[in-house]
Amino acid sequence: MDATLIQLLIPLGVLQLILIIIALIDLRKIDETNGPKWMWILIIIFFNLIGPVLYFIIGRRM
Amino acid sequence: MQWQTIFKKELTEHWRSFKWIWVPIVFIIFAIMDPLTMYYFPIIMDTVGNVPEGATMDFPTPSVAEAMIMSFSQLGMLGVLIAVVVSMGLVSKEVKSGVYELVLSKPVSFTNYITAKYVAILMLIAFSLAVSLLVGWYYVNILFGTISFIQITISILFFIVYFMMILGIVMLFNSFLKSQGLVAFLSIITVVALNVISSIYSHVITWSPTLISDYINVYFYSGQLETEIWFSSVSAVAITVICLITATITLKNKAID
Repeated sequence: MDATLIQLLIPLGVLQLILIIIALIDLRKIDETNGPKWMWILIIIFFNLIGPVLYFIIGRRM
Repeated sequence: MQWQTIFKKELTEHWRSFKWIWVPIVFIIFAIMDPLTMYYFPIIMDTVGNVPEGATMDFPTPSVAEAMIMSFSQLGMLGVLIAVVVSMGLVSKEVKSGVYELVLSKPVSFTNYITAKYVAILMLIAFSLAVSLLVGWYYVNILFGTISFIQITISILFFIVYFMMILGIVMLFNSFLKSQGLVAFLSIITVVALNVISSIYSHVITWSPTLISDYINVYFYSGQLETEIWFSSVSAVAITVICLITATITLKNKAID
C-alpha cells in the first residue's frame, strides 16, 4: 500500500523538479525578465508548480 | 513551401521557449493530481486533518468513470487557461513588436501566416493533451480499475477537437488586438460564455461545441458514444474555420490601412 503510494508520487516529484530546472536554465539564458531576476529565482524555487508556470507565462520578457 | 517555412519557424520558437517541455508537464500534473488526491483522501485526512476522537468518516471511493472524468474536467478548466495564455501572443506580439511587418515585407500570404501559426500551436496543445490524459489514464487504471484503451483514445480525440475551437477563438482575437492580456481575457470570457449558454440551453442546442466534454463524461459512464458528439465536433470545426478566415481577413484589411 505505502510502496505503491511512493511509486505513484515519485513521477510527480520528478516532473516538478524538471519544471523547476528548465525554468532556472531559461532564466540563466535570458537577457531580461519582467522584474528582477533574483525575485524570479525565489518564486521558481519556492512556489511549487505555480512558480515555474508563472515564470514562463509572465516572467519571460515578451 | 512558404507555409512550411513559417511552420518550422514557429515550431523552433516554441521549442526555444521550452513550451514543448513545460506545457506537457503541467498538463500531466493537472491530469494526475485529482485522481491521486481522491484515492488517498482518507490517508491524507488521517495524517493532517484534525478528525475528532471517535468520529468515523466514510469516503466513498469514486468509480473508474468518475476518476477519469476528474482528469478531463481539470484539463477542461486549467488546461484551457494554459492553452489560451500560451497562444495569446502568437500574432498580437508580432504586430506590436514590428516582427509582423518584417515578415509581411516578404511576399507572405496572410492565409499561410495564420494557418501555419495555428497548426503549430495546435500540435503543441494536442500533444500535451494526449500525453497528459494517457498518463492520467495509466494512474486511474492502477488506482481505480480499467478503462479500455480505445475508449480513452476516442475521448482524447474529441477533447482535442474542443481545444481546436478554443485556439481558433484565440487566433481571431489575436488578429485585431495588440494587447496580449486583452486577447487572453476576451478569449476566456468567450469560452466561459459559450459554456454557460450551452449548459443552460443544453437540451435545445445539443450540437454546441462546449458540450463535447459533457458527452465525453456520458461516454465514460455508459460506454456508449452519443450521436450528438459528432454534431458538436462538426460545429467546433466550423467555428474554428470561421475564426481563422475572419482572422485572415482582419489582417488583410489592416495591411491595406
